[in-house]
Amino acid sequence: MTLFNRLFRRSRLDRELDAELHDHLERRIADLRREGIGDAEARRRAAAEFGGVDQAKEYCRDVRGTRWLGDLTTDVRYGLRILAHSKTFAVVAILSLALGIGANTAIFTLVNSLLLRTLPVTAPDRLVLIDGEWTNPIWEQVKARQSQLFAGATAWSFNKLDMSRGGQAQPVEALVASGEFFDVLGVQPILGRPFTTANDRRGAGADLAVALVSYAFWQRQFGGAVDVVGRTVSLNRVAFTVIGVMPPEFLGPAIGRGFDVLVPLHAVTVLDKEGTGGLDSRSYWWLDITARLKPGQSIEQATASLRGVQPQIREATLPTDWPEVHLKEYLRDGLKVEPAGQGPSWTRSQFEQPVVTIMIVVALVLLIACANIANLMLARASGRTHELTMRMALGASRGRLARQLLTESLLLSLAGAALGLVFAKWGSALLVAQFSSDRDPLTLDLTLDWRVLAFTAAIAILTALLFGVAPAMTTRRLTPMDALKEQGRGRAGGRHRLTGPLVVAQVALSLVLVVGAGLFLRTFAKLATIDLGFDRDPVLLVKLDTQRSQVTDDQRAELYQRLATAAAAVPGVERASASLLTPVSGQGWNNAFDIPGKPDLSFRERLAWLNAITPGWHKVYGTKLVAGRDFTDADRAGAPLVVIVNEAYVRRFLPPGSALGRIVQRTEGRPDQPPPPPLEIVGVVEDSAYRSVRDELPATVYLPMAQSEEVFKGGAISVRAAVASPATLVRSLTDALSAVDPDVSLSFQPLRDQVDARLARERVMAMLSGFFGGLALLLAGVGLYGVTSYGVNLRRAEIGVRMALGADVTRVLRLVLGRAAWLVVAGTAIGAGLSLWLAKYVATLLYGLEPRDVATFTGAVALMAGVGTVAAFLPAWRASRIDPVEVLREG
Amino acid sequence: MAPSKPDLPQGTLDLLVLKTVALEPLHGYAIAQRLQQISRDVVIVQQGTLYPALHRLEKRGLLKAEWKPSDTGRDAKYYRLTRAGRVQLDEERANWKRLTEAVGFILSEGES
Repeated sequence: MTLFNRLFRRSRLDRELDAELHDHLERRIADLRREGIGDAEARRRAAAEFGGVDQAKEYCRDVRGTRWLGDLTTDVRYGLRILAHSKTFAVVAILSLALGIGANTAIFTLVNSLLLRTLPVTAPDRLVLIDGEWTNPIWEQVKARQSQLFAGATAWSFNKLDMSRGGQAQPVEALVASGEFFDVLGVQPILGRPFTTANDRRGAGADLAVALVSYAFWQRQFGGAVDVVGRTVSLNRVAFTVIGVMPPEFLGPAIGRGFDVLVPLHAVTVLDKEGTGGLDSRSYWWLDITARLKPGQSIEQATASLRGVQPQIREATLPTDWPEVHLKEYLRDGLKVEPAGQGPSWTRSQFEQPVVTIMIVVALVLLIACANIANLMLARASGRTHELTMRMALGASRGRLARQLLTESLLLSLAGAALGLVFAKWGSALLVAQFSSDRDPLTLDLTLDWRVLAFTAAIAILTALLFGVAPAMTTRRLTPMDALKEQGRGRAGGRHRLTGPLVVAQVALSLVLVVGAGLFLRTFAKLATIDLGFDRDPVLLVKLDTQRSQVTDDQRAELYQRLATAAAAVPGVERASASLLTPVSGQGWNNAFDIPGKPDLSFRERLAWLNAITPGWHKVYGTKLVAGRDFTDADRAGAPLVVIVNEAYVRRFLPPGSALGRIVQRTEGRPDQPPPPPLEIVGVVEDSAYRSVRDELPATVYLPMAQSEEVFKGGAISVRAAVASPATLVRSLTDALSAVDPDVSLSFQPLRDQVDARLARERVMAMLSGFFGGLALLLAGVGLYGVTSYGVNLRRAEIGVRMALGADVTRVLRLVLGRAAWLVVAGTAIGAGLSLWLAKYVATLLYGLEPRDVATFTGAVALMAGVGTVAAFLPAWRASRIDPVEVLREG
Repeated sequence: MAPSKPDLPQGTLDLLVLKTVALEPLHGYAIAQRLQQISRDVVIVQQGTLYPALHRLEKRGLLKAEWKPSDTGRDAKYYRLTRAGRVQLDEERANWKRLTEAVGFILSEGES
């Protein structure tokens, strides 16, 4: 009788038991007959001696210790039958649980991959990051000392490349990593080979043009072809040979940020035309450095040994073009390492608070759904009093009945959880897509791992207990006598004393969610309609990459002007201008300025944002010139240097009086460099957003592109469309711009999308909290309706009598509405208090309103009152339509 | 009505069953018959008690059951003492001896 047999071969064991007992009987009969007793009598005597066969069997089954399993099977079967009888109840309960559990699982999947999981690499807990972003010269210093400091170290970075062979750009996300990458992380390609430090060195030439592809990219771009190794992929117009495919679970060294191709660090030298890739720049901060600790080495020890060599590393990598003040800070700034098992924390810090907030929101929704189902179950338990007391009269114990009811609850919640998993799989992918934007793509591993499944199972059981315990407890009050007293009218239970508090709790929690939804919706509405100082709808951005263009550096500004002119000539284009930067793109360029009369301001306080533009740029954006003039073609190299500033600059930096004609100067750099030239203000424009949509509009200085000393390869043409939908111009603009220079790669983005991408977090918060707030409101409404309606049914006779005795419609309405009103008022009061307390925790996610925003709170309370009134009024109205004559006849 | 049969003290049935099957493997009916015969009809075990006891002993690993062809031509379930069962039997027998002696002393005290 092994455990396996006991659990899974129960029918075989039962058959054996039958055979054994039957054998016993037959032997007894045979013995009796041998004593000369007739067949019939022998059988009778044997059976009588034996006693109850079924009883004997039951005792034997008890010995097995698996009785509970048999009971469970019975309970499940019975439960399924009961649920099949009340389909509407079952469907409503399962669907609301599926939604609740599904939403919780979906968000937990995100929490799991964002906050709990470690990178799919060897011993992730031994990985550390050198805190911050680093230049390549610093990396080379660390690299030279890596065996002394760590078990190994690697530097990596993300880089957006273009895989088109001309014309419109096809962006790819490239992960650039040093040759130590594979050894330090302990990952290997599933196909092909990795690159090593032997490839990844300066001057390795063609050896550098190799790439590994991510699993997803392999599937998408090469259809998962096995012979992908040896094929080529064009990156910034350079043919790279594919040498391998990375495993599917490896999404990169940073959680949240995926990659398409993985190329050697030194490949950046073949990706730009000059062949430098910024490797020698001492102020180009672009690398993350991940290291693996030596066996037994602690994080503190690693930091200590890094501090030991810090002076040498810093001295050897001093930025050449920094002012003295900064260099002192540079030397002082201590290097330290931090755990990197989950990769760097930028994605986590960006999404942690929103995701945790939504996790709480969906948990509350599930609680409200539980309260609803508990109420329905309580009502049903009262309706089932007759059935339950009958079973009790037939010998079932109270515990046994309670178990039966709990089994039913568990069936409901498990069905809900199963459906919820499907919903979650889809929901989490949708959520990631919503959080993701072109500029900040979010890539997460959303597979349902054991943690997610355990979480779902746990909340399924927890919810079953939450809504199942109260109904199961009702069996305590039942006695078998009830079966006789009640003639199947099912009223013994009456109104359960828990239903009131449950509805109050629902109303309170719903109000919290509605307040949250109100706060997030208002935040998003404020941000979405905020005046950024420019028109977002008519503008189409054409981002340029002129890296592969044949023009020389001193012809570059002229190329941009020619591109802008060509764009302006396209039909449907009202005007077009070029600029180095576009608003709220996430990029920025700033400089400190000398402020006349305020010499004591710190370097940081004198910073202003800069942009280089061609004439007419502000007109494209609809930003008005308030004084002076726009740039003209005459403001070119060699002509007097001029600038346009915005009003914020004037307010902040200039003494009262006209700004026009004033000379401004950038703060001097190092003493050995020529002083920056004086610039004359020729125009003042309105303020507009530069980098952030949330911050105050900042002081900004515009330079004519033709006079800018900076050499740039990015930039954009901003096009103001005369047609309603700027996106329709893409084709004709591509043709016109490619005609000017076929080697320029182009990517298009409506300005509105660029602005919206910055609001992804706020949009998702508004969308989700709005959805769940609405759902909570609906659930609370349904709950209140159910309880009130049930109460009316119970008091039908009483109301009928009252009406027969002269109570009019208003009296009846008041009777029913009175109780409902109490529930709503109590719930709203508790909910408002709870919201006031909770609101301060979301303050950082809000914009332009206080966490205790009066309008939001008032609105939420009014909405709740409205829903409560409707939910209670329907049954109350039905009560007032009760026909007393009919009721009296029934009685 | 038959003369009253003494109830078996708690736990004694296990000891008797172990002892009965110690000589040779037996099926349930034979065990019941053997107990009745040897005790000269004093010990009559109800089937509702015997089979649960057999199954309990099997589950504890003191008995091992096997379906084998029997004299009736049908297969019968034979119980056989395991090594653990033998150890248990010796132990229980010693206990029983000590206990009955002790009980005997107490009951005979004052009679001599």
